[in-house]
Amino acid sequence: MKLIAAKSILKANDQLAVENRQRFDAAGVFCVNVVGSPGCGKTTLLEALFDHLRGSLRPAVIEGDIAGSIDAERMEALGVPVVQINTEGACHLDANMTASAAAQLDLTDVDLLIIENVGNLVCTAGFDLGEHLRIVVLGATEGDDKAVKYPAIFQGSNALVISKTDMLPYTNFSIPRITADMKRLAPNAPVFQVAALKREGTERLTEWIAEKKTRR
Amino acid sequence: MHELAIVEALIEQVGTELDRVGQKGAVNRLEIAVGRLSGVHCDSLRFAFNLLSPGTIAEGAELSIREPSAISRCRQCGASTEITELVIDCPACGSPEIVIEKGRDLLLESIDIED
Repeated sequence: MKLIAAKSILKANDQLAVENRQRFDAAGVFCVNVVGSPGCGKTTLLEALFDHLRGSLRPAVIEGDIAGSIDAERMEALGVPVVQINTEGACHLDANMTASAAAQLDLTDVDLLIIENVGNLVCTAGFDLGEHLRIVVLGATEGDDKAVKYPAIFQGSNALVISKTDMLPYTNFSIPRITADMKRLAPNAPVFQVAALKREGTERLTEWIAEKKTRR
Repeated sequence: MHELAIVEALIEQVGTELDRVGQKGAVNRLEIAVGRLSGVHCDSLRFAFNLLSPGTIAEGAELSIREPSAISRCRQCGASTEITELVIDCPACGSPEIVIEKGRDLLLESIDIED
């Protein structure tokens, strides 16, 4: 007997992602999925964002890492509610892990939920977590060819953040090149340049995220 | 990509589909479609399937993979072009204003069950 299924293999994930988004919407929570390779500066970027947010939006974080709680401790030090997910080897977060982590937070006390995904430019592209915005972070020391080499993640993102721009003088990274590539892959996604340790450019990014939340 | 996670999801879905129609027979064959732009590597998928299927409902099943090609449609010149890898410019006229119409799908198409 042949059973015709014709269903997306990741349907279970996509369905859960839709449910996550509905839960976030019902609680008035705006959710941002931050992706990028290991060491591109995602956690430092979050530290800068929370610095700027103080007093306005109430943040919370879901930290995705293969092991350890280093990032979660950094968030706790800022007084931001945080749930650490250890994927124990898995290269990406999925909607199910996101749902269990979100269940550990009191969403009524949260306006902005940031998910810091596992450092990875490949696998994170395929899994909708239920976020409203996906932001891809690329360090100026990683090379300006990454958008064309890993197109899926750039194509699926709502903004590109070029981090560590204070390192630009020491690299051959071309802002015009990456900007042009991003424009072709994701025509509506703005490109931000930040040096998060120095809090340069991070305030503008924070304002943009807050504005996106208001428009939602 | 994340072929192990995909095979896990596939096996779970086969179980769900069989439950849905109340079938308990052994699975002979699974037909899946892996779009050329899905980012999934078919050899890795087969490898993961051989690794994960023993002891599950899909044990011993043949995994048949179809790889439908992708289509890019150009908003400038209107050309619809079959592509086998991701392009960011129209293969016909070079314009960047293209839309990828097909090729990202990852589908469980059919399940052959022993009668």
